[in-house]
Amino acid sequence: MDQSQLRALEARCIQEEMPFCTASCPIHVDARGLMALLTRGELREARKILDRTMPFPEILGRICDQPCHPFCKRGEIGDPLWIGPLERYCVSVTDTVLKPPKLPVKGGAVAVLGAGFSGMTAALDLSRKGRPATLITARTRLGGSLPDRAGSLLPPEVFDQAEATLKRYGAEIVTGASLDRQTVAALLDKYDVLYFDWDDFTIDHLPFIPGTPDPISLALERDGCFGGGGVEDGKPFSIMHQAENGRRAALSMERYLQGVSLTAEREKEGACPTRMYTVTEGIPPASEIVPDNPIAGYTAEEAQREAARCIYCECLECVKKCAYLQEYKEYPKTLVRKIYNNLSIVQGNRSANKLTNSCSLCWQCTVICPYDFPVASACHAARQEMVASGHMPPSAHSFALEEMHYTLGENCALIRHQPGTTASRYLFFPGCQLTGTYPDTVERTYIFLTQHLEEGVGLFLSCCGAPADWAGQSALFTDVLADLTAQIRQMGNPTLIVACSSCLAAFGKYAPELTVVSLWEMLDELPLPEVLFDLPESPLTVHDPCTARYQEGVRASVRSICGKIGLPVAETTIGAELADCCGYGGLLQFANQPLGEKVATLKVSRSTTETGLVYCAMCRENLVGTETHIAHLLDYLFADPEKNPLVRAKVGLSGRHEHRSRLKSRLQSTLWQDPIGSPAPHRAIRLEADDETWALLNERLILMEDIQKVIHHAETTGRYLHNPANGRRLAAFKPAVVTYWAEYEPISDGYFLHRGYSHRMQLPEDRA
Amino acid sequence: MSTFSFAEATEWRCAACDQPLQPAKVKVTYLNAVFNVELMVCPACNFILVPENLAMGKMLEVEQLLEDK
Repeated sequence: MDQSQLRALEARCIQEEMPFCTASCPIHVDARGLMALLTRGELREARKILDRTMPFPEILGRICDQPCHPFCKRGEIGDPLWIGPLERYCVSVTDTVLKPPKLPVKGGAVAVLGAGFSGMTAALDLSRKGRPATLITARTRLGGSLPDRAGSLLPPEVFDQAEATLKRYGAEIVTGASLDRQTVAALLDKYDVLYFDWDDFTIDHLPFIPGTPDPISLALERDGCFGGGGVEDGKPFSIMHQAENGRRAALSMERYLQGVSLTAEREKEGACPTRMYTVTEGIPPASEIVPDNPIAGYTAEEAQREAARCIYCECLECVKKCAYLQEYKEYPKTLVRKIYNNLSIVQGNRSANKLTNSCSLCWQCTVICPYDFPVASACHAARQEMVASGHMPPSAHSFALEEMHYTLGENCALIRHQPGTTASRYLFFPGCQLTGTYPDTVERTYIFLTQHLEEGVGLFLSCCGAPADWAGQSALFTDVLADLTAQIRQMGNPTLIVACSSCLAAFGKYAPELTVVSLWEMLDELPLPEVLFDLPESPLTVHDPCTARYQEGVRASVRSICGKIGLPVAETTIGAELADCCGYGGLLQFANQPLGEKVATLKVSRSTTETGLVYCAMCRENLVGTETHIAHLLDYLFADPEKNPLVRAKVGLSGRHEHRSRLKSRLQSTLWQDPIGSPAPHRAIRLEADDETWALLNERLILMEDIQKVIHHAETTGRYLHNPANGRRLAAFKPAVVTYWAEYEPISDGYFLHRGYSHRMQLPEDRA
Repeated sequence: MSTFSFAEATEWRCAACDQPLQPAKVKVTYLNAVFNVELMVCPACNFILVPENLAMGKMLEVEQLLEDK
C-alpha cells in the first residue's frame, strides 16, 4: 500500500465527515462539540468553540440565525435542536476565553469599505493573518445595519468590544468617512486589494461597474476588488450570510495578495453537503425545550436540557456490529492508517501486527458501510505484504498452516472415483473442517450422494487452501490451488459438490474454471433422507456463516431443507448478508484467541431462540464453545440417531486432527478395500488425561499427536527427567520449529498426561 | 552480555544419567536474537529443563516481542 492508495482508502470512511449541523453552518461551527460541553455544563470550554470559529462571538453568538436548524438530524426523532439560542445563552454567560493568534505582519495594503458585519469579519480575518486592514465606514460606528436590526438582543457595548478586538489585531478604523465616487477612486489607487460590504456601502458610489461577484471568490469585475454582504435577493437579512461572505472575501484577498488561484479547492467553504451517515433508529424521540421567558432566552437548566437532546451525529455503523473494531477502538479510517504505519516501520516494534491479523476478513463491515469500505481487503493485503517482507510473526498462523499441510498430506488427503467405477460425474469435497468435526456424517453424506446421483460420485478429502490465503501466504495458496485443480482435472473435471461455504467462496473467487455446486443446493434438489430423530418443537435460530454472505442460493437452500424435513427454524437479529464470523474466519482465533471467543459469543448473542442451527462445521465448533446448544444441519440428515444433535460436544483441535486421518484410512478400507499401511509408531501410544488438561492443550494449540511424539521420543531414547517423589516423567521433543514438553506417568496400558506446554525459543541442543 | 538466572531448586532428575540437575549457563536463540540464561541442566548429558512457568511466561513474552521486531 502506498500513500496515495492509503489516502484513497481513508477517504471512503465517513466517520470524520462533518455532522449535518456543522456542514450546513456557513462558517462550520462545531455545534456537536458545543452541545456536548453545554450538556456537561462546561461553559468555558463551550465558549472556546465559539471563540475559535466565530468572528466577534459576542455579536454573532447572540443573533445567529441558525441556518443549521432544518438540517439537524434530531428533527427525524423529535424537533431539531435550537442551536442559535444555545449559542446566545453561551455568549451571554461567558466572556471571551480564547484569543486566536495573530500572524506576523506581511505586506499588502488592504482596505474594507463598509463596516457591516461582513466588512468587520473581512477586516478581522485579514488582520489576524498579518494583513492589517483599514476599515472605513461613512457611519459614526461599526456594525452597518446591525444595531438597527438586532434591537435589544445586542447590548451597545458589544460594538465597543468588537472595535477593541479589531484594533488589537492591528486594524485601523475610520468612521464618518466620505465615500463618494471620487474618494473611492482615490482609495482604489492607494490600496492593493479592497472589499466592499454592501450592507454599509452604496453600490452607486463605485467608480467602476462591479458586475456579479464570482460565487466562489466574491471577486468583482475590477482586479483586486471583492464585494459581498448585505441582503441576498429574495432572502431575509442573515447575520450568518454576512459572516460567511466576510470570511470568504478575506481568504480571496489573501490569495490575491499571494498571487495564487482565487477559486481552487474551496468546495468545503460555506454551507456544503456532507457524506455523514447517521442512523436514528432506536434513539428515543425528544421534543424541544422552549424557554420559559422567550425574551430572556434559556436559563442554565433549560440550556443544559436542550443541549442534551443532541444525538452527536456520527456513522460508526460498522463499529456498532463488529467486535474486532470495538476491541481495538478503531473505525476503518484510523484502522487502515495504523496498518499502513505498521507496514512502514523500518526499525522498532511493529505494534499493529496483531491488529492486522485479528480481522476475520468477513466483509460484514463492507456490506454495512454506505461507501463499501473494504477493511478485509486492506487487512489481507497487509498480511501478504508482511509475509513478503519477512515480517509476519511466525506464531500467528503456524498452527493453522501446519494443519493445512497435514490435511493436504498423505495421512488425510484422498481422491477416488466411486467404488466400482472409473469415472466421476461429481466429486464430493467435504472440506477439512467438516471432515475433522463429523467424519461419520461425511461418510454417510457421501454414501447418500452415491445412491442418489448417477454417473459416479468421487470423493476428494483435502483442503481448499483458504488458511494459506487468510494468512497472506499468496505463493503457498497459489500452489495448493494449482495442485487441487490439477487433481480435479485428472478426475475428468467432475462437478465439485462443496459442503463448506469457505471452500465455495475460495473456488468461486480463485478457480472460476471449476464447476462447483454447494452441497446444500444439491441436497435441496434430491429426495431427502427420512429424519430419524424426534425433531425439536421450539425453533432453532439459523446462524449463517460469514462466508455465505454472498451465497444467497446456499442460504435459501438451507432454509428450504429445514422446511422439507419439518425442522422449525427462526432467524437471527443479524444474519444473511450481515452475518457475524464465528472466530475462525481469517484465522482470527489463532492470531488472537481471546478476541476469537468474544466474536463467537457475539454471534451467538444474535439468537432469537434458546437453541441454534448452523451449516458450517467451524461455526458449530466455535459456537458450541460458548456453551449454547447448537446443532449442525447435517446432524439431522445423516448423523447417528442415537446422538442428540443439540448436545454433541466440541471436538477440539486434537479430535479434528485425528478424525481426518482416521476417516481416510477407514474409507480406504471399507469403501475401496485398499491395503492400509501401519501408522507411525508414536500414534499407537495410548494417552489419558483429564478434561482440564485436554482443554489446556487445545488452548495452547498442542495436539495429542505432538504429545505422543514427545513420549515416544523420550521412551525410545531414555532421555527424560524423572521426579522420584511422584514417579512422573518430563520430556521434550521438537518435531519442526516448536518444542513440546509433556509431564506424564506410565499407567498400565499407556501414559497419563499431567501437563503439556511448548515454546518456540531454541535450546542449544536443538541446533545439533 | 548479561545472564538472567531462571535456575531454581527442582525435584526433577535426569533419568538417563541418574543425576540431580544443576544451574548452568545456556545460550537460547529465537529469530536471530541470542540470550544468555541460567537454567537447570543435567551436568552429565546437558539435558536442559525449561519449566512450564518459564515457557508459558517470560519465554512466550520475549518470543512475541521478537516476532514484532
